[in-house]
Amino acid sequence: MYPFSRRMTLQAALAIAGLLALPGFAVAQEPTVKVGYTQSRSGPFAGGSQTTQEPNYILWAEQVNAAGGLNVQGKKRKIELVGVDDRSDMETIVRSYEKFMTTDKVDIVLPPWGTGANFAVAPVANKHGYPMVAPTALSQKLVDMKLPYYFVTLQQPKPMMNALVEMLAANQVKTVTIAYMDDLFGLENIGALEPMLKEKGIQVLDKKSYPLGVKDLSTMLKGMKAANPDAFIGITYPPDNFLVTGQAKEIGFAPKIFYTAVGTAFPIYRDRMGKASDGVMGMGSWNPKMSKAAKAYFDAHVAVTKKEPDRWASAHAWAALEIIQQTVEKVGLDRKAMRDHIAKTEFDTVLGKMKFNGTEEVGVPGMVGQWQNGEFEIVWPPARATSKAVVPKVWN
Amino acid sequence: MKQGALFLIAAALLAALPALDSPFVLSMALTCLMYAGLAVSWSMFSGPTGYLSLASSAFFGLGAYCTAWGLSYLPWPVVVMAGGLAATLFAFLIGLVVLRLRGAYFAVITYGLGELVKHTITHVEKTYAGTVGRVMTDTPSSNVVYWTVLIIALLAVVTYVRFGRSRYGHALRGIGMDEERAATLGVNPMRVKLLGFCLSAWFAGALGAAMAVRWTYIDPHTVFNPFIVFQTVLISMVGGPLTIGGPLVGALVFSLLSEFLRLSLPYLYMILLGVLLIVSVLYLPNGIAGHDWRGTWQKIFKRSKAADAVTEQRHE
Repeated sequence: MYPFSRRMTLQAALAIAGLLALPGFAVAQEPTVKVGYTQSRSGPFAGGSQTTQEPNYILWAEQVNAAGGLNVQGKKRKIELVGVDDRSDMETIVRSYEKFMTTDKVDIVLPPWGTGANFAVAPVANKHGYPMVAPTALSQKLVDMKLPYYFVTLQQPKPMMNALVEMLAANQVKTVTIAYMDDLFGLENIGALEPMLKEKGIQVLDKKSYPLGVKDLSTMLKGMKAANPDAFIGITYPPDNFLVTGQAKEIGFAPKIFYTAVGTAFPIYRDRMGKASDGVMGMGSWNPKMSKAAKAYFDAHVAVTKKEPDRWASAHAWAALEIIQQTVEKVGLDRKAMRDHIAKTEFDTVLGKMKFNGTEEVGVPGMVGQWQNGEFEIVWPPARATSKAVVPKVWN
Repeated sequence: MKQGALFLIAAALLAALPALDSPFVLSMALTCLMYAGLAVSWSMFSGPTGYLSLASSAFFGLGAYCTAWGLSYLPWPVVVMAGGLAATLFAFLIGLVVLRLRGAYFAVITYGLGELVKHTITHVEKTYAGTVGRVMTDTPSSNVVYWTVLIIALLAVVTYVRFGRSRYGHALRGIGMDEERAATLGVNPMRVKLLGFCLSAWFAGALGAAMAVRWTYIDPHTVFNPFIVFQTVLISMVGGPLTIGGPLVGALVFSLLSEFLRLSLPYLYMILLGVLLIVSVLYLPNGIAGHDWRGTWQKIFKRSKAADAVTEQRHE
């Protein structure tokens, strides 16, 4: 006789099969990598956040997980995104990150959207020893705080304004008028721009500031039309760049070069301004024609999030994620080791080589882009250009 | 007496909270206390008089800017006091004019003043300091900020109760019921209203001054945020501005609830919050604390009893 009855054997076999089917028993599955972040899904920052930043986070998690997970020193672990709305409110942002870093003890934190929010969380991340690589922070003051755990992938005012002025000089611009926004962004850019213009001998015929939330700039623009400059420089961001472009067209202010700073690289700018957008220049860094990697990124972004990335900071957000990914692959999730690796390594990203000098990224130069037939072409510097600048801009 | 003891126990417990060493609990408590302080101080004036003031954002922002300007030169307690005083001074100056208005006009002009201060500060900063946003680097620890906000909130509660019981408190309620009659009975409405308005402003200013350091960087748009006053008014309304329990309960419920919903239902919480607000406005017009819960309970109880009786009758 068998020592076990047939029924007992059957039961044992079923039990083992059942155990194997349970996750955790069959294969020793790796724990997920928890990634915490806030983005603005409501409030005044929502437009920027939902165009430039959060779609990248979602795309990244999907792509990495589809490939089996995040490579943590050779082991593949799935990414678990913990993303919450910060209501565009500073106190909510600070509180949420404190929760991620102390109560939830997430493995990685990704930054919130915008300069103000980054000012608020950078010291928190630094205090708790979480490395943070930010795409949407633009302030020399933030860079000057020299927080060892904090990095910014976006070009700061100096390189951006330098590229602009060199491009102007290359196109024989002698006179400009400048409109800028009354905030840190406007003032820091003006601060960088004016000495550079002076050095190149470009004359500022008129310079006016305007407050955030302005609804009419036609008087200012009429004054500038009367001054008849070679170029108009708008240190603007949405929705003001729509306003400036629309009203310039209405009153027939048609300088050779028309530059509006942030948000010009947003696909919505092209879509809303239609023909008027053609030839407008602005802050940008890339487009899908730039490289194979850029094209692949663009296509994946459109396929997964159903919208085009913007041609400036979106790719910087993606590059920041690539930096995190490469760092984790190399040194794992030890945060001190991550920070040291980020600080001293040269990374290969969608925007090319990136490297940090303190907080600031120094591998990618300042650039100028221009809408040409539906694509935001990089027109300066020549080494990065995807097309020649169309000057004078055709106004129709 | 019993209430005094309760107050002291609550104060002691709250003061000991940093001992938990949980930054998240602490910052959650900080948010509750900030809104409790704002709602109590708002209710101090707007509750009894029925003047719907939307100036809290302006007071808060002025306080915050005082910190941004003074933090490197003055000791912390002085900075916070000064933030409150700046708000009081501003309340006094505008109060002389705006307290002559009533109803919707008063609400609109106080809101407009917030915008005025915001743009004035932007202009002054740009013209004279060459900057708009300000960075604060050498900031007090989060425990110090927490205790500061706690003290201001406790002071607000004590002031609310004391002031409400004083001659001026009675006079304010009198003005709320019928301003002309109060005047005929010998109350100087302007003086009393001005006093209440200035007093309430101090707390909002001091809270702004204390909170500003949490964000490292401030600019006019973050600190003159109309959302702050909208939330304050909502909390006071939902809690009930006529008793001290109202704004406190409102702040607690509102902060915890919105945080809970935000973290657990990140895509739905706004809708839920909106529905809850509508429900509470419709069914709790006097606020959570001002509502006659016993009456409601009895009504439901009796109605179900009556309903039972009806069904029983039918069965018979």
